[in-house]
Amino acid sequence: MTYQDIHATGRRTGSSAPYGGRPAAPVPPGRPRRGPGGRRALVAAFWLGLVAAVLPWWLATPPGSLADTTDVLTAAGRITGLVAGYLLLVQVLMMSRLGVLERWLGGERLSRAHRDLGATLLVAVLAHLALLVVGYARMEKNSVLGQVGALLTHYEDMVSAFVAAGIMVTVGFTAVRGVRRRLPYELWYHLHLTSYLALLLGYGHQFSNGAQLYEPGPVRTGWIAAYLLVVAALVWGRLIAPLGFNLRHRLRVADVVAESPDTISIYLTGHRLNQIDLLGGQYFRWRFLNPGCWWQSHPFSVSAAGNGRWLRLTVKVVGGHTAELRDLAPGTRVWAEGPSGTFTAAHRTRERALLIAGGSGIAPLRAMLEELPPGAALIYRARTPADVLLHNELDWLAQARHTSVWYVIGSRDDPGPRQVMSPEGLRRLVPDLTRRDVYLCGPGGLVDEAVRVLRRAGVPRRQIHLATFEL
Amino acid sequence: MRRALLAITGVAASTTALVVLKGAPGTSQAAQDRPVAEAPVVPGGSAAPDPTPGGVTPSAGPGASAKPSAKAGASRTPGTRTSATARATTAAPRTTTSAPKVTTRTVTGPVVSYKYGSLQVRITLSGTRIVDATGLGMPLDGQSGLRSDDVQARYSGSSGEVVAKQSANLSTVSGATYTSTAYKQSLQAAIDKA
Repeated sequence: MTYQDIHATGRRTGSSAPYGGRPAAPVPPGRPRRGPGGRRALVAAFWLGLVAAVLPWWLATPPGSLADTTDVLTAAGRITGLVAGYLLLVQVLMMSRLGVLERWLGGERLSRAHRDLGATLLVAVLAHLALLVVGYARMEKNSVLGQVGALLTHYEDMVSAFVAAGIMVTVGFTAVRGVRRRLPYELWYHLHLTSYLALLLGYGHQFSNGAQLYEPGPVRTGWIAAYLLVVAALVWGRLIAPLGFNLRHRLRVADVVAESPDTISIYLTGHRLNQIDLLGGQYFRWRFLNPGCWWQSHPFSVSAAGNGRWLRLTVKVVGGHTAELRDLAPGTRVWAEGPSGTFTAAHRTRERALLIAGGSGIAPLRAMLEELPPGAALIYRARTPADVLLHNELDWLAQARHTSVWYVIGSRDDPGPRQVMSPEGLRRLVPDLTRRDVYLCGPGGLVDEAVRVLRRAGVPRRQIHLATFEL
Repeated sequence: MRRALLAITGVAASTTALVVLKGAPGTSQAAQDRPVAEAPVVPGGSAAPDPTPGGVTPSAGPGASAKPSAKAGASRTPGTRTSATARATTAAPRTTTSAPKVTTRTVTGPVVSYKYGSLQVRITLSGTRIVDATGLGMPLDGQSGLRSDDVQARYSGSSGEVVAKQSANLSTVSGATYTSTAYKQSLQAAIDKA
């Protein structure tokens, strides 16, 4: 392996000078594991809900009653309608920032599920619309266009329902990766916000025209209750819980420190920081309340485990927003939502762990290192020695926590990194690779490649943990 | 993205499966209910599952939906209705703006299953007034067919009891209590929806 620098010499077990003379963090008394139980419960609840959504149709339809094409079209339209109504509720619920969801599923898994369910929802809505229009047109011996007109004029709440469908189609298509990349983020974001409107506008027609829902009874009551629950979750997750957190902890910027030419650390202080239930590797959504930044909120990992005195986030300056963070004045108020994420030491399935970081992806791993039992390993990929962040801290942690740290410097195509990023290379560094949990954080390309390599090396999927915010 | 495709396929497949499961007659409940309920009709009923798995009900379904529209004098209403909507779509004679206001509309109640089969009531309204009503999908053969005919004759049509009373508060047809009740239930839902 060709390491070009003192920072990059093979295996390091830490330097003799602890960072800032600070005493080593006490070894935390084995935190309770947070296994996949919560996640499985939520997934089971999702499937149960889906069954419960379609069950009324199943019970209300006598067997053999779907005699001709019209009946079949209408029935399929009703099923897809029930599915779409349910999925829309789930979609909104997943974005409610409810603490339970954020900590049991994690933002990453949530946003993946949101994307996949979103595509499904879009198709279900279109199918519902098409099937019912055609089905009703056949039933009333009408042309398809004529039936659309009839639905709009003669049926209650159908105008708003069509508008809701239009919104969902717009939101769905702008979320397609290729389209999304071409749109300015703000436009995309505000378009996406209109989905709440779709929830509202699509509400009426389900009850005034829905074959299963207009009759007062347990089904209708349950459906309304589901709506109320989702709205309550939204209000709680987006308003009440963050308000409570911020009133309690009143975070302020204490200092902004340059870690490298393009990376900064922001230190925050506040009240009762020891009462935050923060695990290393989790993140908050931060909103810095100064004139330039208050209107946007971004997720950044905390780059040091909770110590009761300060919080720190380490941010790479890549865009307009992060550039402005460099000029944050000490004392600026900070609005935070969190902590969120399942990318923590408590979620591991094995005793030991291997951490692979790329560039500024070291931040959550650095925090996690403090909570991992001794014997962890860290592989840190960086393009140049200057890109190695928190170098002293890592060395100090390596020594204090008996962690093996390798710095792998160079571009992706250099022989050194290429050799390490192969099943054999990884196995040479970490022989017990397949018996470890692997935590990956870094640029999308590195993470994808590392996952491929790890899978080829035989690491089971459930032992691989990812932290990426890009989709 | 792969999971999204899987999910979409899953929705499509399970919707199809549900419809097929419900659509196939002669499944357990249907097979159990009918012969017990209408012993004299067993020949008709048992003949049905033999040739195709779509015996009794499909033949009853289209028959029923074709029959009322011919019989109940509803041919007038759908006629005016389609022409009205056709006009709206072509949008040519926009001058007759008052015309859409007096158009009649139809509202269909839910499918109500009862002892001898299932039915669905469709009412035609002119404004808020019910001008026509008919039961769809009612069993046609045998004893239950007779009951269907009795109920249809009393309730449906532009001169039936529904139009006369303008509500679902109808007197029960003697000898066809189940059919009457199911009819009234679907009718009430249709009126609520209208």
